[in-house]
Amino acid sequence: MSEQPRMIYLENISKEYDGVTVLDDINLYIRKKEFVTLLGPSGCGKTTTLRIIGGFEYPSTGRVMFEGKDITDMPPYKRRVNTVFQKYALFPHLNVRDNIAFGLKIKKMSRGEIDKRVDKMLNLVNMAGYGKRSVDSLSGGQQQRIAIARSLVNEPEVLLLDEPLGALDLKLRKEMQLELKSMQQQLGITFLYVTHDQEEALTMSDTIVVMNAGHILQIGTPKTIYDEPANAFVANFIGESNIIRGTMVRDELVNFSGVDFPCVDSGFGENTPVDVVVRPEDIVILGEDIGQLTGTVKSVLFKGVHYEMMIECGDFTWKVHSTTMQPTGSRVGLSIVPFNIHIMHPMKEEAK
Amino acid sequence: MKQFLKKCYLAIILIFLYVPIIVLIVQSFNAGKSRAKWEGLSLHWYQELFTNASIMNALWVTLSVAVVATIVATVLGTLAAIGIYSMKKRPQAFMMTVTNLPNTMPDIVSGVSLMLLYIFAKVERGYFTMVLAHITFDVPYVVLSVLPKLKQMNKHTYEAALDLGATPAYALTHVIIPECKQGIVTGALLAFTLSLDDFTISYFTTSPLVQNLSTLIYSATKLGISPVYYALSSLMFVVLLVLLLIVNHRTADNK
Repeated sequence: MSEQPRMIYLENISKEYDGVTVLDDINLYIRKKEFVTLLGPSGCGKTTTLRIIGGFEYPSTGRVMFEGKDITDMPPYKRRVNTVFQKYALFPHLNVRDNIAFGLKIKKMSRGEIDKRVDKMLNLVNMAGYGKRSVDSLSGGQQQRIAIARSLVNEPEVLLLDEPLGALDLKLRKEMQLELKSMQQQLGITFLYVTHDQEEALTMSDTIVVMNAGHILQIGTPKTIYDEPANAFVANFIGESNIIRGTMVRDELVNFSGVDFPCVDSGFGENTPVDVVVRPEDIVILGEDIGQLTGTVKSVLFKGVHYEMMIECGDFTWKVHSTTMQPTGSRVGLSIVPFNIHIMHPMKEEAK
Repeated sequence: MKQFLKKCYLAIILIFLYVPIIVLIVQSFNAGKSRAKWEGLSLHWYQELFTNASIMNALWVTLSVAVVATIVATVLGTLAAIGIYSMKKRPQAFMMTVTNLPNTMPDIVSGVSLMLLYIFAKVERGYFTMVLAHITFDVPYVVLSVLPKLKQMNKHTYEAALDLGATPAYALTHVIIPECKQGIVTGALLAFTLSLDDFTISYFTTSPLVQNLSTLIYSATKLGISPVYYALSSLMFVVLLVLLLIVNHRTADNK
């Protein structure tokens, strides 16, 4: 991805509503043909960021650059981006075909050209033959496809998607994730996608931007974000984690739960307080006397692929995922390989 | 027994409400002039009605005032509703109170205050002032029928239009107004009905030289009423009934 030029650049963007800061000095660039996801809990500012790029919100400070030009003051109808809105926002007084043709009619395109492009779009979203239907007669998933077609038909440089799959059921959502991703690759359009669903973000994105409380916490590929979360918040938000307070004894040695663990991180200094993050699937269950930690199984849940066990070791309860089950009440040993211990600076208060 | 009582109760209410109107309609077909004696079925009064110059003139005034007031009030009311819709919460609540207030005020208060305003502003009362008065009381009803339609809309509809390249003016005429068309038509019908049917406000805002049907009937009663007015009132009742049925039907459909 890195060879592609920068399309959109958000420069020191802040946004306040009635004295409440929702975005605090955001800097972010999006490359051409990249699939970027803004990920974060509700109220983290991800939708506001999207709306600033769409032109529906005006930043309190900062600039929006589009291919090197400042478009901060440009109204939405002049921007070469299109948006797929939450809950679709189709026009109920127009049928499916006229909904998709809306943007082309404004561009005063010829009748024949409009028909050709609309048909192509209907095919792309697997809705051929639905042109004459009223949008109210369609299911949620079908309306979503029409909303996507209505935006894509205008051949935008960037497509902004605001939680487009939020209203669909799980199975349909998974199907649409794959379809959207393949559409994006097929058409070579830049996608900026907003979601609070970490799994969706991991599945679809080239780059994930994790946000919380108006700040960007981490930008990276899905693999980096998952394997090397920048702080405890990211670790907790992306996938499941055990987060425990610890002390960095020296480089490549950390102490938590009263035990020294070899690890691979360095550069934190000596005897520094840190957050230690361990994924539940990275904890190995051994016999009682051969683990680094010893604990008692408090509860067992069957989750399909694995069992989720809560194992109490002293004053901390570890969440452990394993395909073999240990009965409740049994004593077990736990072990973690150095590579799977992630050390982070304790979080600043503001980002929590 | 309980069922029977319920039905009786309803019947009594309906009788009290509609007997006077039924008597009026029956009397309008009475060939004779006396209300006490039935002298046979006749369309005589209806014939006379359509040849009576002052009644025909009043009919013209009523209809033309209603049409002009409806058109102006529908345009103003729709734009006002769109304006109120896009306001923030608190000014919106304030505007809604201001809009609702005239509806809750007795007609006589509106009528008298408009009259005082015209006198104060030294505007001679007549056709023009009556039209203005009708617009005034029609606008809130249009606002109140259009606003719910706007609120039903997906809140991103306007933005979606802009996003697809529509200028604000294009979005207004091609998306927002078509989306609330039903509310606009209902509001217009309601305004037209209210305007046709108004007496009190018209009475205070016109001169004796420009009469609409209701003020004409009122002045006629002072001289001893001719059965020709029974015929007129019966026709007005039927027209208003039909209009109200249409409005109610539309409002029921919208839900």
